[in-house]
Amino acid sequence: MKRITILIAAFFISIAAQAQVDRTVMPKPGPAPEINLKTPTSFKLNNGLKVMVVENHKLPRVSIQLTIDNPPILEGNKAGVSSLTGSLLGNGSTNIPKDEFNEEIDFLGARLNFGSQGAYASSLSKYFPRMMELMADAAINPNFTQEEFEKEKNKLITGLKTEEKDVSAIANRVQLALAYGKDHPYGEITSEETVQNISLTDVEAFYRDYFVPANAYLIIIGDITIDQVKQLTEEYFTSWTKAVPPSFSYSQPINVPNTQINFVDLPNAVQSEITVQNIVNLKMKDSDYLAALVANQILGGGAEGRLFLNLREDKGYTYSSSSAIRNNKFVPTRFTAGASVRNMVTDSAIVELLKEIKRITVEPVSEKELKNTKAKYAGRFVLALENPQTVAQYALNIETEDLPKDFYKTYLERLDNISREEVQMAAQKFFNVDNARIVVAGKGSEILSNLEQIDLNGKKIPVLHYTKNAERTEAPNYESSVPENLTANEVISSYITAIGGKEKLEDVDTFLMTAAAEMQGMQLDLEIKKTVANQFMQDVKMMGNSVSKQVLDGDTGYMVNQGQRMELSGEELLKIKAESAPFVELQYLTNSDISLDGAEMVGDKSAFKVKVSDDKTIFYDVETGLKLQEVNIAEMQGQQIQSTFTYEDYREVNGILFPFKLTQTMGPQSFEFIVSEIKVNEGVSEEDFK
Amino acid sequence: MKKLLLRSSAILLCGITTFAQEVNYEEYDLDNGLHVILHQDRTTPIVTTSVMYHVGGKDRTEGRTGFAHLFEHLLFEGTKNIEKGKWFEIVSSNGGTNNANTTQDRTYYYEVFPSNNLKLGLWLESERMLHPIIDQSGIDTQKEVVKEEKRLSYDNSPYGQFLPVLGKNLFDVHPYKDPNIGYMKDLDAATLDDVLVYNQKYYVPNNAVLVVAGDIDLTETKKLVKDYFGPIPKGNTITRNYPKETPITTQKKATFNDPNIQIPAAMVAYRTPGFTERDAYVLDVISTYLSDGPSSKLYKKMVDDQKQALQVGAFNISQEDYGMYVVFGLPVGETTLEVLYTEMEEEIEKVRTTLISEKDYQKIQNKFENQFVNSNSSVEGIANSLARYYLLYGDTSLINKEIEVYRSITREEIKNVASKYLNTNQRLLLEYLPEENPAN
Repeated sequence: MKRITILIAAFFISIAAQAQVDRTVMPKPGPAPEINLKTPTSFKLNNGLKVMVVENHKLPRVSIQLTIDNPPILEGNKAGVSSLTGSLLGNGSTNIPKDEFNEEIDFLGARLNFGSQGAYASSLSKYFPRMMELMADAAINPNFTQEEFEKEKNKLITGLKTEEKDVSAIANRVQLALAYGKDHPYGEITSEETVQNISLTDVEAFYRDYFVPANAYLIIIGDITIDQVKQLTEEYFTSWTKAVPPSFSYSQPINVPNTQINFVDLPNAVQSEITVQNIVNLKMKDSDYLAALVANQILGGGAEGRLFLNLREDKGYTYSSSSAIRNNKFVPTRFTAGASVRNMVTDSAIVELLKEIKRITVEPVSEKELKNTKAKYAGRFVLALENPQTVAQYALNIETEDLPKDFYKTYLERLDNISREEVQMAAQKFFNVDNARIVVAGKGSEILSNLEQIDLNGKKIPVLHYTKNAERTEAPNYESSVPENLTANEVISSYITAIGGKEKLEDVDTFLMTAAAEMQGMQLDLEIKKTVANQFMQDVKMMGNSVSKQVLDGDTGYMVNQGQRMELSGEELLKIKAESAPFVELQYLTNSDISLDGAEMVGDKSAFKVKVSDDKTIFYDVETGLKLQEVNIAEMQGQQIQSTFTYEDYREVNGILFPFKLTQTMGPQSFEFIVSEIKVNEGVSEEDFK
Repeated sequence: MKKLLLRSSAILLCGITTFAQEVNYEEYDLDNGLHVILHQDRTTPIVTTSVMYHVGGKDRTEGRTGFAHLFEHLLFEGTKNIEKGKWFEIVSSNGGTNNANTTQDRTYYYEVFPSNNLKLGLWLESERMLHPIIDQSGIDTQKEVVKEEKRLSYDNSPYGQFLPVLGKNLFDVHPYKDPNIGYMKDLDAATLDDVLVYNQKYYVPNNAVLVVAGDIDLTETKKLVKDYFGPIPKGNTITRNYPKETPITTQKKATFNDPNIQIPAAMVAYRTPGFTERDAYVLDVISTYLSDGPSSKLYKKMVDDQKQALQVGAFNISQEDYGMYVVFGLPVGETTLEVLYTEMEEEIEKVRTTLISEKDYQKIQNKFENQFVNSNSSVEGIANSLARYYLLYGDTSLINKEIEVYRSITREEIKNVASKYLNTNQRLLLEYLPEENPAN
């Protein structure tokens, strides 16, 4: 027997001597590697805090992660209190003032962050004892002051305000509220009103109730010893008072009996946010958990997913389309698939989304899709393991998700064993086109009539209407309140009369305006000069330095953006030219291409809507005739970007009314320009347009 | 009081625990001269296979610049056994990532894979070294790609030309005078023969180091390395004999106009020693002191307090034969470049004439230590460092010892090095200006 082995070995050697490897063939991967995960050493303090230690002496550094694994918390009419508590933690302690605390961490080259349900610190291992002390001190003896509370509360409210018109933020909030219900921790809505209800006492109470050790894990990874951790944890964390958080009951979310569209009308939307969602019960410990991830990856995971290939690459509806499946051990959760699409293709995009979700449930995925997806998924999984935070998360998941101890050790092998059938079964179980909510936030006047025509299984999908806060509402009424026979040119004419009359306007040869706005504490200066001879100059300066400048002189022009100069040509040149006249409306008077597109509310005023071009719409006050708002649409990186100018505070200069407050809104950003000077027929020279 | 005590005890601990960070490795040569470094780290089942070739922008003849960078592109085109255009697909459908980069001194190619694809990584790199397909059509394609890259990263990019401009003004005879990416006319003039000769000269095992790092079995890996790389023929010995520069002894002035900017930059630059010299390390420390972080000297004074500069920086561009030490500032509003030069020189002069404070010294030490630790936080990062220390510094063990060099630098030394290299008569004043003078 032994001899045979030697013979075989010799046989192989002689072969190897001739051709050691066959390099004409690409090497096949070896068997899926076993994950060499460190098993944490664990112990528990008397107050309930569980400590996990992963010794890793490769580098002299340590990370400390505190995670409190509480069930979801219902905040009710004080929604926002958890977020405020998180912001107020980590600002020093009752022993060390805030500035001193932060300065010390800087000096140590370390970092320390808090959230409402945990904290994270990292440093060199030699500073680990001090970092443990600082984290424990800040966690157990928080420095809650009225001053910081007011500051954080204002920040939170400012944040909520910037979301007021943000289509994707509204869409997200409505999706959650509809999926879970507004009286569920995941569905409740934080509003300015609920934040105003919060006092410092509420933050203190929230901290006392929920920042407690019963469900807390302290995970320490790095160049430390278990003994050192034991000693330090006992020294610094023993004083954390033992307590269990209060528990609630709340309703269980369920799927709708029949697929429906839940529509939120947002008149300012240039894109529709579409999400197809259904409720799933998926926990990490479920046997089909990995198959569900793979199915989702094939359907809508990134640039190789079917949704991306169909809705972006093939149809060009959107910049990106993807899907996501979530897991949660406490409550049912969501599967979502969606995209942000141009208004005009909203209904078509829904049809394609439903088609792709359906297809993966009725047809098995291809061998190649499965193979490449597994390889990518496995690679990503394995490469991510290098990050200590990933390792910590896995140790924590095993503990909190009740997973088998070898869950991650066998992860790649299990991934590799998944069959096409298992992927299809997971898709059938978790992706649901027949009991789905299709949440659409978009501009009803342009998309609603098409939304009402979408078929599913031979029936029209019903459309239900909701407000921005997920309350049921009536279908919007788009019937125009425009008097019969009124034309766009007449609207323009009454605007011209309102600001001073055609004759006065025609006397204007040059126009100069300077205005200023503030952005994050910095001043933005705006200067505009125009003449009737197709000359235009607009310069935006930040702290005295020009950041954006556009110049037009007759038929030539250029722009300079952050130091980069570009000559204007083609469409850009025409666009600027169209804006260059001191009063563009004088040209609209006789322009037969403009059209009156109904009436809409602008703020609390009703306004006539005049469509000047595909990219430009202007709103004129029905009552006073004044220009209220201008909406421009531009295409940037495949997304349609809308910018809005609002005109207010009209004042007279040389017998003509000019707006002295201009607000420009673009996405979540908004600049309020206050005009300091307007000059007519003075202060402009030829040099300005060179 | 309690806090003070604790802080000093934490500093005391420092001497005891610093040796914890030891990167283990094994190194040897194959018969064909390929240097091999293996680093085993089984924490994560990933493996990096990388090859660093000792060839960079400076390895060129007059009229044939930019070749090393062109090769960074050419050597992804395909090999005798890898179909043209398939390289990236092979890597991603096997769960990996890859990339390459070129400096004036070396070129680095690498892949990261789950460790069951070690063989694949070795195959890819050995294919590249043994028999890449280099033909006219590949050269034509990649020349255009490189031109696009030049437009994107240099010509169209605000301040994108400052490195080539500094090189041109700080060097008269050494190849560092020419841009790493090369002159486009040189690339256009390059023939297939030129390119093939360059490949045969530099992309040979005896001019390279292979690093295999991560979750590997050492015995098996050695065998595979021998199998895949052993048959690659040895190349001729390379001698580098680049002209030496004569020291700068009187201040130089230069201006450059960049059409992509609106705010000028005041730059002060000095020619400094190559990166293996101890003085180069000291210059790194001086950069950190001057401009790293909001409490650094230049930043605190010029940006924070006096609001003269939008941005300031000091950095040591370290290279094999010579370094370039650069201090720059971008003016706010009406501030003139003259004012910036004066303010910058005032701080540099302080470093030349007075000792930095004990507290600043300690803070710098902490920063370097953090930087050092984090530079070794990924297997790919370690592979890169191992390759660099062997190939360019001639001492692989620096991966564990370099921090000792920084630690041994004294406050006196900082002062001495500053007064050795950073004098006003040794400097280049480069006014980096917008194309046209601003209207005001």
